Amino acid sequence: MVTLDVRPQLLDALSALRDRVAAARFPLPLAGAPRARANRDELLAQLDDYLVPRLRSPEAPLLAVVGGSTGAGKSTLVNSLVGRRVSEAGVLRPTTRTPVLVCHPEDHHWFSGMRVLPGLTRVWVPQQDPGDDLLPLGEDPARVLRIETAESLPRGLALVDAPDIDSLVADNRFLAATLICAADIWIMVTTAGRYADAVPWHLLRTAKEYDATLVTVLDRVPHQVVSEVSRQYGALLTKAGLGHVPRFTVPELPESVWGGGLLPASAVAPLRSWLVHQAQDPASRQHIMARTAYGMLNSLKTRMPELASAAAAQHAAALRLVTAVDRAYEGEHTRVRGQLNAGIVLAGDALKRWRAFPLDCTAGELLDALVGSLAALLLCAVTAADERVDEAWRREPAAAAPGLADRDASLDSAEHRIGLAVRRWRREVEEYAEDEVREIDRSVAPDPEVVAALTATVVLGGRRARSAGEGLADRLTAHRATRLRERAGNLLVEHLDRVMHSERERRLAPLDVLEVHPEPQAGLIAALSVLQKER
Amino acid sequence: MTAVTDQDHTDHTGDTASRKGAPSTAKPESTVAAEPQARGRDAHVGDGAGHGRVKDQQEEQVGRARVKDEKAASGSMGSADSAGSVDSADSEGSADSWDDGLIARRMTETADAGQSAPVEPRAAAAQAPAPLAYDGPLRSRLDALRELVGLSRTRLESGTLAEAGRVLDEAAARRKLSGQHTVVAIAGATGSGKSQLFNTLAGVAISETGVRRPTTAAPIACSWSDGAATLIDRLGIPGRLRRRPLQSPEAEAQLRGLVLIDLPDHDSAAVQHREQVDRVLKLVDAVIWVVDPEKYADAVLHERYLRPMAGHAEVMFVVLNQTDRLPGEAADQVLDDLRRLLDEDGIALGEHGEPGATVLSLSALTGQGIPELREALGQFVTERGAAARRVSADVDAAAAELRPVYATGQRSGLTEEAREEFSARLADAVGATAAGEAAERAWLRNANRACGTPWLRLWRWYEKRFDVPTGRLFLRTQADEEATARQRVEQAVRTVSDRASAGLPTPWAQAVREAAARGSQGLPEALDGLAARTGLSPSRPPRPGWWPLAVLVQAAMTLVQIVGGLWLVAQIAGVMEPNLGVPVLLMVAGIVGGPLVEWSCRMAARGPARRYGQEAERRLRDAAAGCGRARVLDPLAAELLRYQEVREQYGQVTQASAGVG
Repeated sequence: MVTLDVRPQLLDALSALRDRVAAARFPLPLAGAPRARANRDELLAQLDDYLVPRLRSPEAPLLAVVGGSTGAGKSTLVNSLVGRRVSEAGVLRPTTRTPVLVCHPEDHHWFSGMRVLPGLTRVWVPQQDPGDDLLPLGEDPARVLRIETAESLPRGLALVDAPDIDSLVADNRFLAATLICAADIWIMVTTAGRYADAVPWHLLRTAKEYDATLVTVLDRVPHQVVSEVSRQYGALLTKAGLGHVPRFTVPELPESVWGGGLLPASAVAPLRSWLVHQAQDPASRQHIMARTAYGMLNSLKTRMPELASAAAAQHAAALRLVTAVDRAYEGEHTRVRGQLNAGIVLAGDALKRWRAFPLDCTAGELLDALVGSLAALLLCAVTAADERVDEAWRREPAAAAPGLADRDASLDSAEHRIGLAVRRWRREVEEYAEDEVREIDRSVAPDPEVVAALTATVVLGGRRARSAGEGLADRLTAHRATRLRERAGNLLVEHLDRVMHSERERRLAPLDVLEVHPEPQAGLIAALSVLQKER
Repeated sequence: MTAVTDQDHTDHTGDTASRKGAPSTAKPESTVAAEPQARGRDAHVGDGAGHGRVKDQQEEQVGRARVKDEKAASGSMGSADSAGSVDSADSEGSADSWDDGLIARRMTETADAGQSAPVEPRAAAAQAPAPLAYDGPLRSRLDALRELVGLSRTRLESGTLAEAGRVLDEAAARRKLSGQHTVVAIAGATGSGKSQLFNTLAGVAISETGVRRPTTAAPIACSWSDGAATLIDRLGIPGRLRRRPLQSPEAEAQLRGLVLIDLPDHDSAAVQHREQVDRVLKLVDAVIWVVDPEKYADAVLHERYLRPMAGHAEVMFVVLNQTDRLPGEAADQVLDDLRRLLDEDGIALGEHGEPGATVLSLSALTGQGIPELREALGQFVTERGAAARRVSADVDAAAAELRPVYATGQRSGLTEEAREEFSARLADAVGATAAGEAAERAWLRNANRACGTPWLRLWRWYEKRFDVPTGRLFLRTQADEEATARQRVEQAVRTVSDRASAGLPTPWAQAVREAAARGSQGLPEALDGLAARTGLSPSRPPRPGWWPLAVLVQAAMTLVQIVGGLWLVAQIAGVMEPNLGVPVLLMVAGIVGGPLVEWSCRMAARGPARRYGQEAERRLRDAAAGCGRARVLDPLAAELLRYQEVREQYGQVTQASAGVG
């Protein structure tokens, strides 16, 4: 028989693992992400609500959670086990919206604190008044646990009446899952009309997967068909590999009709005595706790790698997105450099100005035209890159993430930023030209603006502006002209790099906010292996 | 004309005769329900199992799966006399009567392939059920949907249109079948009492009921009147699962035309049951949802079935069964709660005479509430509108599903502003403004040179000898290079296609963008050529008629100066009489007059120069705009027009629904 021995190292390893799990995020909408998120939440709930508190205080009362489909008679069953109406039962579905925990008065302190189910607010209702609204105002009904005490329950056992596992109210479903995760004993209630339903079977299979201590109750069985239904249910359980699970049958009695009252003690006596036995016999109590706890520890072996692989998938998807952006901007960058060398800027109005220069056009106008043309080229490159990114991302499911999808139409601001960079380059070229001109003798010194315009034409015009180079060399000396050209050219490359880089960073910023890193994957696996070592 | 299968069975009558004995004797007890119909059955039960060649000339039956599997040839009438209305009970009977080993086994082998029952026409019932006719609005909506699917096939992925295509196919298939009948399926969770209700309505125990869950594994059909066989064939229900209700005149009269289908459950662990339900639910005319007090709030029922089918409220009954299990007023409470849940699901409830789902409570076991259901069903069946309403709801659902690919709720289209901006950007790309200004200045410069004083000309000529040749040299060598700013053209096309595709659903926006990209290929080159052709030659601006006059006046002024000067010189030399006044006046007039004429000429030239420059700019601008319109804007407009057309079709599909619904 397995026993529960708890060492502090194990607890440490477990809380480290818990933190890792809590830190795992799956922000990108990949195919497996919703499932991974649900798995993470479930695992976290199990760690927080069950495994850690159970290992910390093995002497705490056993928690038996009654779960099942809507209308299966869970509340009636709990009421009958307790011997008085602690949980409201009724004909309208879903009945139980606030889960109820029932325990012996002396066990009350175990549950009043936040030891188990820390996510649920405790509510005490000493005297039950069915007509009253049981919830304090402003309290989210899904996040409340009502605690009742009853002398009739033995010490060391607490019953929880959970909401429906297949409720129409989604919150109820999550709450039911949370509660079931916190249980030492899972009591699955089904009925004669429901025992073939698909949803409860998922839960049963999950219980088997986690090797939790499981009891099934077949409720509301009409007298005439008790044996037949029970036999068929047993056959189904055996087929699912759950033949060994204790099975109790509760007949449909007039008293049970839709919450009219409590079932007679005899109807629930076998279940009750089984539960009492489990709670009071130290050996079986140990066995039950160890089984559920180790079952859960064992299940970590498969569930943690699942989470880790989901985290890895997230990271891979994020990398693909980044690569798409990099490739697009890289490609456009190369294209722009090629175009600059080919002198594509010296076209359109810039070319017309240049043709008219200097007779019909001033140096200032030529510079204006060149700078405008350069800004258009950069803007074109940036938007083309964005377009390529959009196209690449359209094929990536991860790109539908909220932050990434609704990209602000910041074309105007991109235009603004590029305009700033280009104007700055112009000003710097003008300053360089002034520097060069200042060194020349004043009497033969050319107009610095003309020099700046010629320099810009040479740098931007590429091969097309050969004559501008000659003109520049004529006005300055050849040596100065070359130096000026080189400085202006380097400066242009620098500005181009900066513009492309900053636009690329802007594009990636929303992705960075999501913080998809490779660390969670490694962290999860590492925490698991530490835990394995400590067991 | 639906139900007649004009199979030619004369070539195996011998076979038929040899087998005739067996069927009539080997009828099992379970066909008791069908017994009364047996009177109509003649002995033409044929066995074509091994070699039955079915010659089916009726168009609507070609391609139906049943044809290839048809085992029995029956009836001796062709399509022309239309006398054979197919009787489901008969076919069921013949199916049972085949239960003799080999053939029966073959039956079950092929039963899953949607094989139909053997049909046996009765000469007595010489009345073919008229096919269903859809009313005008629905027909036009179906046409519009068909048109829509056709128009968008090239633009949308086939998966997107699959549902619409299915709806069209089903509507067409249903239309060819009997309009006298209404196919109603009974659906619900396991253990809700579907089969019990089915049996109660039929009056006999047709469908097996029991405590074993799930009970019913395959759909069972029950037809209240003749001629529904093809309808049931469509559901893929084999002949051995077709029954007749208990014969009673009043039931017959009330529910005439009803074909009731008992479905398996949709929520048990048996997945194939759910598949059956999903398949049949798409084909029936109406559904009775059976819920019980235990399960009426199950998530699977509401989320998987009722919410998606909320549009089908008019062809939906929701029946709360097993009220006998509820004490007293609890039944009403539960019914109210059920109504509330249905309302939350978005299902219109048929209260206060409004169209919508009928909600009833009953107990199939005790029979309480059954007459009400019967009455509601009877009225429903008599109206004979269920099939059309179902198709209409299907069209609504398909249209709603297609909404994201056809409508965005935003204004779309290319505004005049966007077109003008595009033209302006293209003009920028060819440098129209700069060209215009250059032309204006060149004209002005030429005018100044032409009308300037000769002394100024002399000075200019002298200065020009030392001038640095820059732009003008360039002009000659580089004239044929790429004169259009590529990046501006690219950006212009991108902007205009973004504008045009804004507010369009994704596939159409993509198509618009592609059209723009196609159009922009070769656009810069075209603009290059255009600029070279239409651009005014800057070196040879026109010479206005008044220039020679101005030159003459300038020459005269210079002459006056020279004359005055010479006169003065002559006086000084003593050749002429000293008279300072006139020569000085002449000289001064010449000296002042020359620049004065030059200045006034410059003033006079300003207007024409501007006109000349504007003309140059306008010509370039127009040429660029024309080129852009032909290559980009027109294809864009055509693409947008195509979208508009599709959008209108879609509007027709949905708009009519508001009128009908």
